[in-house]
Amino acid sequence: MTVAAGIGYALLALGPSLALFVTVISKKPFLILTVLSSTLLWLVSLIVLSGFWRPFLPLNSAASWPFAVLIITSVAFQEGLRLLFWKVYKRLEDMLDAFADRVSKPRLYPTDKMLIALAGGLGHGAAHAVFFCLSVLTPAFGPATFFTDQCSQIPFFLVSSIIALAFATIHTFSMVIAFNGYSEGNKVDQLFVPVVHLVAGMVTLINFTTGGCSIGIPILYIIAILTLLHCGKMVWGKLTENQIRL
Amino acid sequence: MKFYFLLVGLFLLSQCVREISGQAKSMESVPDLQNSMYRVVDGVPCVRLLNLSGEIGCANPGRDKVVAPVVRYQTGLDLARPSAILVSLDRMGELFDRHDVTVFFRISKDPGLSKNIGGILVESGTGIPNEFKGFSPDRKFPLAEFSPYQSTNYEWNPRGTGILWNTYTFPIFLLTNDSTPIMKKIAKENEKKTEGHTSNVAEFDLVMQTTKYGTHDSESCLKEGTCLPLGGYSVWSSLPPIHISSSKQVKPTILTVASMDSGSLFRDKNLGSESPISGLIALLAAVDSLSRVDALGELSKQLVFAVFTGETWGYLGSRRFLLELDLQSEAVRGLDSKLIEMVIEIGSVGRAFNQGTETFFAHTTGVSSATNATLNALKRAEVSLGSQNISVSLASTSNPGIPPSSSMAFVKKNSSTSGFVLEDFDAAFSNKFYHSHLDDPSNINSSSIVAAASLVARTLYILVNENKNIRSSVLDSISINGSLVDEMLSCLLQCDPGLSCELVKKYITPSATCPVHYVGVVLGEPSSTPYIGYVNDVSRFIWNFLADKSSALEKNSRSTCSQDCSNKGEVCIKAETKGICVTSTTRYVPAYSTRLKYGSGVWTVLPPNSSDPMAKIDPVWTESNWDNIGLRVYEVQEASLDRLILLAGIAATVLAYIAIAIARAFITKALKRD
Repeated sequence: MTVAAGIGYALLALGPSLALFVTVISKKPFLILTVLSSTLLWLVSLIVLSGFWRPFLPLNSAASWPFAVLIITSVAFQEGLRLLFWKVYKRLEDMLDAFADRVSKPRLYPTDKMLIALAGGLGHGAAHAVFFCLSVLTPAFGPATFFTDQCSQIPFFLVSSIIALAFATIHTFSMVIAFNGYSEGNKVDQLFVPVVHLVAGMVTLINFTTGGCSIGIPILYIIAILTLLHCGKMVWGKLTENQIRL
Repeated sequence: MKFYFLLVGLFLLSQCVREISGQAKSMESVPDLQNSMYRVVDGVPCVRLLNLSGEIGCANPGRDKVVAPVVRYQTGLDLARPSAILVSLDRMGELFDRHDVTVFFRISKDPGLSKNIGGILVESGTGIPNEFKGFSPDRKFPLAEFSPYQSTNYEWNPRGTGILWNTYTFPIFLLTNDSTPIMKKIAKENEKKTEGHTSNVAEFDLVMQTTKYGTHDSESCLKEGTCLPLGGYSVWSSLPPIHISSSKQVKPTILTVASMDSGSLFRDKNLGSESPISGLIALLAAVDSLSRVDALGELSKQLVFAVFTGETWGYLGSRRFLLELDLQSEAVRGLDSKLIEMVIEIGSVGRAFNQGTETFFAHTTGVSSATNATLNALKRAEVSLGSQNISVSLASTSNPGIPPSSSMAFVKKNSSTSGFVLEDFDAAFSNKFYHSHLDDPSNINSSSIVAAASLVARTLYILVNENKNIRSSVLDSISINGSLVDEMLSCLLQCDPGLSCELVKKYITPSATCPVHYVGVVLGEPSSTPYIGYVNDVSRFIWNFLADKSSALEKNSRSTCSQDCSNKGEVCIKAETKGICVTSTTRYVPAYSTRLKYGSGVWTVLPPNSSDPMAKIDPVWTESNWDNIGLRVYEVQEASLDRLILLAGIAATVLAYIAIAIARAFITKALKRD
């Protein structure tokens, strides 16, 4: 679809993440490092999953239940890794706080902690967008377009970009919710994130059916908006609570 | 990394992708996606050929690929924008009739159609409909300017349309049997999408170097090096071998001639089964049968067989052969043009079957005692073959002369040439597909070829014996190996087994399986001992076959060789497989225009020589060079949609930026409140 459309698809999928990076993350080197390490972690999770699933591939694309199993195992593994990421972060936080005490500087503020979580989520979301959308976008820079049988009204690359945008949003803000849930021991938040991740993953299976993308994609966006709102509510609550405490 | 792609592809699948063709085949990587999007279509192109005054054939109009939506041809079609027209074979004549472009003027009988032809795709069919009366893109009198008689508007080829000689400023491709249904489906999809935002387009890559460099005739393109002259290598062989070392005089020679190249609008779909390969096979089968006759060498006349190439493009092979004879060059050592008593040509002989008899016609090259002797021998041969329902008669006197054939070049050079051309037709070609891509093996009959070969073999034996002392037992023993003829048909006229058949592989290592009887271009320096890689498969096969057969009854050293043989009079046959030295006089003769000279890597056009009247009318055909030729189809969407998507991406980014800035300001304000 020509270079213009190719750039358009890339911006659709990664533009908001890029905007977030430029406005918030790029000012603080530590956050940049967090984004990179979170991307790396997500990469590693993909490698391990692909290694595990290699003997079972290619899956029989006629039935969709093998894909459901694939998604469930992948989501479970990635959520486990998120917990690990949290534990490593906690250790790091303790080290940073101890260091701050030694040089008589202030400890990490709650906003700092949330920014670190946001950076972690952004790393995951951007990695997802790059691997699931950008990696197949190269043919879109040529003159041709492509439509799948199941979703014949919208170009395939557009669908891919839109879904990548939704997932980037979900990943970015899920990390904030998850870190907050782990630090406060809030069971609701702790469960919210894996459930949302799993539901979002399963919803994409609807796209297998003819015309399914007109149902699946709106549901996905509802989930993304839900995540955004929940995160917003949580952040607002945290900030006002701090205010009262101070 | 392979894991990545597998997993990526898989997750992709798990999100929303399935293979488009409806089969349960899944795409597993980006290259798979690329191949599904851009589908390469098999097609045979029509290429750009040039002569001294201009060009013919097809090419992209500029340096870029031509991209045009695919539209099916219907009567009364009117195009709004440049399109790729998909036309079926029986409608092709109608389409080309409505559109007529000559080099300097865009004369269009139908302006609404012709200025919007982006390209043409011709369908192939598995069966030719009965109402299809034939198709011949050549003229009604092919190579009329070379005829030794005046009536150049006689119609030897009544179905001829002459579209082969037109200049097309757009690409034309012939689809294969496999790619035709794909294209038809795509055109049908396009019809449904008339108001939609996408359309299926065909992308033609037929950019010719002569277009890129602006050289639009042979002389300028040869100077620039953007083209090469048409030509190849003819083969001649004597049976039995001529012992040049001995002091014996050269004997009077009977020359039997056939040609090996045909023409077609589409360069690589060029079989020429009836014209002229049926004649070629008959000649080779006759040589095979005569090679088993004892003591041919003790007779007073010499048999020489010659197979010319380049005849379609102005009798390049025969004219060059005659020139080499005049120059007494190395290529024709052992031959003396003054001693060539008669010239017998085997033309189109595959369609002689007519109500139970194989009927042939002898078109004589003038009246003389030698010609009478040949005709008597022919009659005697016919009688000896009496039980086999073969008949041969003199061609009608209402014909203006000999049909288009290599003999025309011989007669034009020397009007006292005696001989005849053996054909299966009298007043007009029986070949309904002369010089078209449809002249395939279904157009001929192997029994006709066997009959023609029998006639020629026995006629030659009678002639070489000067019609006396012929033991009818020997004459009757001269018979054609029918299975050899069938094998040659499957080797030279089919893709399976094609040139990979045992007969051909015995002698050479073919470069391709599907035989193509287009003369090709002259690579490197033309010489009588060319670099074997520059000689095409069929010429090499014929050389090896003739050398093998002519050496059958000789004393051969049979020593192994790879290129040359040390013994005089010996040649190395089967050099590409397991070479052995045999006694034979078989030579290559370069076939190219007598107006061209090769010197220090460059071809130059010579001015016409007054001693060579045919050189004045020679168009000097060359073929343009090219980088790539290809045909792809894919779906495109409107440019406005592309811009819309870019806008949407930018908007998403900008909106996100604004939203984040607002949120940040909000949070900062909230924090500052304390």
